[in-house]
Amino acid sequence: MKQLIADFKNGLWQENPIIKLVIGMCPTLAVTNTAINGLAMGLATSFVLISSEIVISLIKKLIPNNVRIPSYILIIASFVTFTDYFMKAFVPDIASSLSLFIPLIVVNCLILGRQEAFASKNPVHRSIADAVGMGLGFTWVLVALSIVRELLGMGSVFGIQLLGSWYQPMIIMILPAGAFISLGILIGIMNVISSREG
Amino acid sequence: MDNSIGKLVLTLTVIGIISAVGLTFVYEWTTPYIEKHAVKAREGAIREVIPEAERYEEVTKNGNTFYEGYNSGQRVGVALIAKGSGYQGIIEVMVGADPENGKINGIKILSHEETPGLGANITTDDYKSNFVDKPFGEYEVIKRETSEPYQVEAIAGATISSEKVTDIVENAVDTIEAAYGGGM
Repeated sequence: MKQLIADFKNGLWQENPIIKLVIGMCPTLAVTNTAINGLAMGLATSFVLISSEIVISLIKKLIPNNVRIPSYILIIASFVTFTDYFMKAFVPDIASSLSLFIPLIVVNCLILGRQEAFASKNPVHRSIADAVGMGLGFTWVLVALSIVRELLGMGSVFGIQLLGSWYQPMIIMILPAGAFISLGILIGIMNVISSREG
Repeated sequence: MDNSIGKLVLTLTVIGIISAVGLTFVYEWTTPYIEKHAVKAREGAIREVIPEAERYEEVTKNGNTFYEGYNSGQRVGVALIAKGSGYQGIIEVMVGADPENGKINGIKILSHEETPGLGANITTDDYKSNFVDKPFGEYEVIKRETSEPYQVEAIAGATISSEKVTDIVENAVDTIEAAYGGGM
């Protein structure tokens, strides 16, 4: 049980995919312009990560080493396609604002990276703990980043206008440059916190 | 672990088949919902650009699909889906017009990939009002408030997006004019 909790917490902080490993940058920079997009992207990626870690952890002994990467990609792509259809059918507004970034989850190196580093070497229950932790770790950073960008760039959070008309929105924050600036500052703050901790 | 070619091919084939079968079911399950949303979005757009229409009909003329809006047997407007490149990617616009009176009723952006906060403002009523009850013709995009009917007020910081949409609307109007005669 202790092992499971450690696996789970690993992704939230120590090996957080975005702020510590700095992987999965494409969706991180591209879709965090509004909080709802950040949240939806985080949840969609988590779903794909959890499902594919379960499947790959279950069938890891059946896959010959030479074709493990194409096999993983096939499995990941199937779950991504499922997610894409599902979102288009049931949350069409979010699906249209994330548009091509949903299919691009296939090549998110966070997902393939976790299969290689974890699911292909560990039993199912530990893989689930790892996937949930990594997924939540990815999601919370996306949401934090997108809240900052939406607030400064449009004066709203989750589409609710918080800052009044006196606030002149900083357009740059919702453009790509704003993503780099806010992510850099966020990683900097996180590094200061980690170095104080120990 | 056996790494013979046969085993490798077999593994990938089996995974591929299982994925394909699974996705077939997902596709069957979600397609009706996806189509329903597309039809609803199109219907909403037609109602927005031909507000007076009670019902509409799909008509194909010169290879283009038009939506003719009717009210008590009278044709009150024609709508057309026009596409063109924007600042980033394709912009799809539903253009509603009244060819008998030679005027544009209004437009509705169906899909776009413009920058959020800048070019994406082409979907706001402020911008769309540039094309409400306007005469057919060539439009000019200007960076101040409009004073003449043939002017379009550009969105601050998104002049290119504003111009692209204007081009798309002009082309759509030409297409409608070509198909329905247009003007008095």
